[in-house]
Amino acid sequence: MTKIIRKFVLPGDLIVRGNYPPAPNTYQFEDGLHSLKVGLSEIEGKNVRVIPLAGKYIPRPDDLVVGVIVDMNAFAWSVDINSFFPAFLTATDVFGKRYSPESVDLSSKFDIGDVIIARVAAYDRSKDPMLTVAGPKLGKVNGGYLMKISPVKVPRLIGRRGSMSKMIEEATGTRITIGQNGVIVINGEPSKIPLAVKAIEMVEAQAHLAGLSVNVQNFLSKETGRDVKRPSDGPSRTEESYDDGESE
Amino acid sequence: MTQLISKKNLRLDGRKLDELRPIKLTVGVLKNADGSAYIEWGRNKIMAGVYGPKECHPKHMALPDRALLKCRYHMAPFSVDDRKPPQPSRREIELSKIIREALSPAIVLEDFPRTAIEVYVEVLQSDGSSRIASITAASAALADAGIPMRDLVVGCAVGKVQNKIVADVSDVEDKEGQVDLPVAFMPNLNLVTLLQSDGALTKEEFEKAFKLALEKGRYVYEIVRDALLEGFIERREGS
Amino acid sequence: MSAEERKHEFVDSIRREQVIRTLQTGVRLDGRRMDEYRKIKIDVGPIVKADGSALVQIGNTKALVGVKVMVGTPFPDTPDEGILTVNADILPIASPYEEPGPPDESTIELSRVVDRGIRESHMIDMGSLVLEKGKRVYSIFVDITVLDVDGNLFDAVSYAAVTALATTKYRKATLKGDQVVYSEKRVPLKPQTIPASVTTAKIGRSLVVDPDWLEEAVMDARLTLTFNSDDELCATQKGGTFGFTPEEILKQMEVAREKARENRIILKEAIEGAKKK
Repeated sequence: MTKIIRKFVLPGDLIVRGNYPPAPNTYQFEDGLHSLKVGLSEIEGKNVRVIPLAGKYIPRPDDLVVGVIVDMNAFAWSVDINSFFPAFLTATDVFGKRYSPESVDLSSKFDIGDVIIARVAAYDRSKDPMLTVAGPKLGKVNGGYLMKISPVKVPRLIGRRGSMSKMIEEATGTRITIGQNGVIVINGEPSKIPLAVKAIEMVEAQAHLAGLSVNVQNFLSKETGRDVKRPSDGPSRTEESYDDGESE
Repeated sequence: MTQLISKKNLRLDGRKLDELRPIKLTVGVLKNADGSAYIEWGRNKIMAGVYGPKECHPKHMALPDRALLKCRYHMAPFSVDDRKPPQPSRREIELSKIIREALSPAIVLEDFPRTAIEVYVEVLQSDGSSRIASITAASAALADAGIPMRDLVVGCAVGKVQNKIVADVSDVEDKEGQVDLPVAFMPNLNLVTLLQSDGALTKEEFEKAFKLALEKGRYVYEIVRDALLEGFIERREGS
Repeated sequence: MSAEERKHEFVDSIRREQVIRTLQTGVRLDGRRMDEYRKIKIDVGPIVKADGSALVQIGNTKALVGVKVMVGTPFPDTPDEGILTVNADILPIASPYEEPGPPDESTIELSRVVDRGIRESHMIDMGSLVLEKGKRVYSIFVDITVLDVDGNLFDAVSYAAVTALATTKYRKATLKGDQVVYSEKRVPLKPQTIPASVTTAKIGRSLVVDPDWLEEAVMDARLTLTFNSDDELCATQKGGTFGFTPEEILKQMEVAREKARENRIILKEAIEGAKKK
């Protein structure tokens, strides 16, 4: 396996010398790639990544997000997606192109305060993010426990091929929906939810620590009194890396 | 007039000519701000808080291609010897602009068009070189907020006191000395983003003072680095 | 955002490119060299009601300064010094980007930088302005009015303030008990030095002195350096949203020192010329 070199970086720090393909959270200066954030840099061959310690959610098309309806007019709902602009969900997305504002009251579908799971349909710098609920498992969330984590920790919570979140779900018997925007909905028996919350908080707090899955596994095993399995690669991997969802 | 430097070349607070006052910086100290940093630099006590990127209000001030950087430098009424009225003075207005211009080159404002990034610097106690301490704390707070930055911004105010060049000017040295020369810069990109001076300096004196400021600024950089990494490690372990 | 920054948005990309590309060939759009000033025109004493006044034009930039000397009470921490107050106002007619109202941050910065240039050079011996220590001193008001903006307000305003102060003749006052009596006799404010400021704009990698409106609108950063008659640096102000490398600062310091010498000659000619009248 390729060795992954990790080190803490601060804005301005040189991560690696030479010409490397551009990577998020980095910039090319004369001598090489520099970090734009406080975080952990990972160099795997020619691939460089900086996992930031903090940062707001920046919408990307196709992201799954969990949002809250905060306003509406005749044509669209305004949705808080924990970013720096509210997102919009148009009435035509929900009611179809033949929809007419006179005959339909938007609140009949989603009202202020409702929580929805949606996908980011479009976002560029000149307009606010547009959402869609056309798709499987999208739409209003009816009940469950809502929590927020820092969006930069989401990849860690999902884990490689979903391994971390699956492990927590199986150990606690809950269903966890993770928005890329850091908003999470947990469904399941009320008695099981606090454990899931604690496990998620543990991931958020230790996101940059190697051996996190082992820690979470041990924690869940201890709390449930069962032998929780890590559905990830074999025991020979002592160093972890994870797919953070960014295509390379 | 006070004797600011003794015959043994020691300053009023016992420091050598090129010695900095003790500096302590902590990040992530405020719950509500997106990023924050608290600095104690000598007897300066300054809190920096950052909000953003966020929606820009008023909307007509938003910039189409980048974030609007707003900065407010404000001194608490009890921060100085003679009580200062709470309304912004002309000095605070000028310093707010200067500090904003010192931080602006470091931030990738183009990543967040139509938003605002707000930097608030509150001087709780002031004792000379507060603008440099403010910039240092503010750049740490911006990094703490996860706002993309090309570099941190650090600095040092040097001065001429009793014809000698000194590093890290204290309040009494600023008031009764000959020259105050604050410098702030981005250490990795080697770019000076704040430079002011008042008082007469020959060519040689300026060069000596300027180079001393850059040298001592790098020392401040190490302190900021340690504080940011420490904040990072603490949060990692869930404390 | 101040008027200065709003300006940046309104320069179209074609003109911005034009300025930058022309500079790369070592010449400016109006044909000047990098270290060349536009024509500096100084009119001394246009405002007869003021104790001293000067109108300075650099290119199309026009700044008018009036000086008034009155008797006032000293500051508690400097009972043996006179008072100097510098205040600038950029009139709405001066630029499409100026609005009526109290001074904004750019105007305040302008006032304070010009103030420091005068104060820190010790142009005026503040100790010689005392009538009665701790009680009555001369208070000098330097009021700046900008009439037209075409770049480089810092130097235009500074030259006008310095010329006005150097040619100020104020009424001598005496104290009769508690009353201040102004005599008809006027005495000159004798300057101890003539501070000259030089403002440089950084555009890309080029450093140009005396930026005009367009150069200022596209510039990355600004450096104003003020020197006294002994060629010593007495005040500095970096402005703008970008920065200078240390090498650029040291290099431009010497360019500015030389330009300050040249412009001081122009200031002195105007000051001497006025004395002959």
